[in-house]
Amino acid sequence: MPAHMILLSRVHAAPEGDRSARARLILGLLAFMLVIVACFSIATGASDASALGVMDGWFRRSPETALSTRDRLVIYEIRLPRIVLGTLVGAALAVSGALMQGLFRNPLADPGIVGVSAGAGLGAITVIVLGNTLLGPVVAIFGFYALPLAAFVGGLVTTLVLYRVATRGGQTSIATMLLAGIALAALSGALSGILIYLADDRQLRDLTFWGLGSLGGATWTKILAAGPIIAVALAITPFLARGLDALSLGETSARHLGVPVQRLKAAAIVSVAAATGAAVAVSGGIGFVGIVVPHLLRLVIGPDHRYLLPGSALLGASLLLLADAVSRTIVAPAELPIGIVTAVFGAPFFLWVLLRRRGLLDL
Amino acid sequence: MIEAKNVNVSIGRKLILQELNFSAAPGEVTAIVGPNGSGKSTLVKALSGDLPYQGRIVYNGHELGGLKPTEAAALRAVLPQTATLSFPYTVREVVRLGLLGGHSGAPAGQDEHLPERALARVDLGGFAGRFYQELSGGEQQRVQLARVLCQVWEPVLNGSPRYLLLDEPVSSLDIKHQLLVMRVARDFAERGGGVVAVMHDLNLTAAFADKAVVMQRGRNVASGKPGEVMRDELLSDVFECGLKVGTLPSADMPFLLPQTAVF
Repeated sequence: MPAHMILLSRVHAAPEGDRSARARLILGLLAFMLVIVACFSIATGASDASALGVMDGWFRRSPETALSTRDRLVIYEIRLPRIVLGTLVGAALAVSGALMQGLFRNPLADPGIVGVSAGAGLGAITVIVLGNTLLGPVVAIFGFYALPLAAFVGGLVTTLVLYRVATRGGQTSIATMLLAGIALAALSGALSGILIYLADDRQLRDLTFWGLGSLGGATWTKILAAGPIIAVALAITPFLARGLDALSLGETSARHLGVPVQRLKAAAIVSVAAATGAAVAVSGGIGFVGIVVPHLLRLVIGPDHRYLLPGSALLGASLLLLADAVSRTIVAPAELPIGIVTAVFGAPFFLWVLLRRRGLLDL
Repeated sequence: MIEAKNVNVSIGRKLILQELNFSAAPGEVTAIVGPNGSGKSTLVKALSGDLPYQGRIVYNGHELGGLKPTEAAALRAVLPQTATLSFPYTVREVVRLGLLGGHSGAPAGQDEHLPERALARVDLGGFAGRFYQELSGGEQQRVQLARVLCQVWEPVLNGSPRYLLLDEPVSSLDIKHQLLVMRVARDFAERGGGVVAVMHDLNLTAAFADKAVVMQRGRNVASGKPGEVMRDELLSDVFECGLKVGTLPSADMPFLLPQTAVF
């Protein structure tokens, strides 16, 4: 029997109502898809540099021509960092969404929609604008980690305030959460506006591109700054998975099952803030990944967080790389900020989710 | 043994439980009865560790406040009155959450089969693949009972008894399933575990409980065998309406006709 038949027969043999075998199969397919999408991304771009040619030269150790040197530069210094950063950011945003939805017991929670990204953005803008003056000493200490750390702090403060306002006795009101998110986003936006008013011309240009969301400025330095933070946040999530499943029964029942609820919530909030903060710091406001990806996955593999969280990381990374490919090619040789691409697809999707849940939404 | 000594619980400024003494022995079904607002659910919440309390609550000699969530989860399982889910889990996925603590007590490798066995136990065989949110209230309540049974599948673990705390376990069930759930509780007690159940139905209490604890205004006003505490004067006083307890001529089991109530 060929391998895929064995896999499929095992799926059918699973007990009724047990979707874990199917979920594992889908996780395998998603990992495969990410590899394909990454290979596709590395092979395409504004320059006609050939990834195959570079790899060929690398393996055969053939003498370098001027052309292959230029190709190598395009691949190693432009495309590869961009793909690595896109993978990290896509995974971070999608997992943040899934974590936040589990934490708030609410499929509409998303760092972008409820103002956490705006809070992280305020942190980042503060460092960009005041990094040379007021915050000079801080930036001197933390180096290129100052930006993602500031975004992390901004995201953390916003998440904590949001949780305090929207949750009472373990129950989150959907309406309060969304409205509090609007208020927090508005406040962060206003404070960011004051800072932008203080910015000089060069900073303004940086801020504008950053604010629309882009992977365009990907460098290995940015990856070094955001990568470790995102990696740590993602590495924590498998330990939160069963707790988040229990939490969907409510805080009290989760505790009765033996889940240390306060520790779980604290870990989830810090992970969301860290992953969102680091992603926002290096790529600006890329919206809707955190709501689209977990929602699609729940339709296919169900809400079990043991599979939803890694699945979100894989699918988030793939979708962001695809969105990046669209943003690079649709107005080539110029490029569209990727935040515009995700919003064009993501916002109608969000409306569709709302439409489907209409009546369930106790606003 | 669960023992509560001089327990006080306040919610806001109001003292809900006052100097309450209570005990539930392994091998027995202990029913907590009393009028609305007498503190029955509050007592179960205090025993579950959901509410801060003054006084002592001891499980098998361990002070409840000193137990970690995982340790408490190995000692007792709690059936909530209702539970809504925020995501579309299947019935099997919900029941399986009961195994999360890893102390079901079933032989190694058997945990995977417990959800089906627990569902069959509560007359929901064949429901494993259904979505929890699409079930009726009574079916959802039985799914939760199956989950709770998985958590403490063996009523005795490593020689020490475990406990089921049931808050109105039959409130939304038809008569067949009321009897079924009470039998599940009896069976758990007969195999060495302890059951504490908040009950509104005095007839089911009389038929299935080894001990009835009568509560009034946050106090334990009587406890003992149902036949001993279900007396006209006591029940009439506690429930604030004239009641007459009857006794079946064959078995020595008291019963109560609501038609006898006098206002």
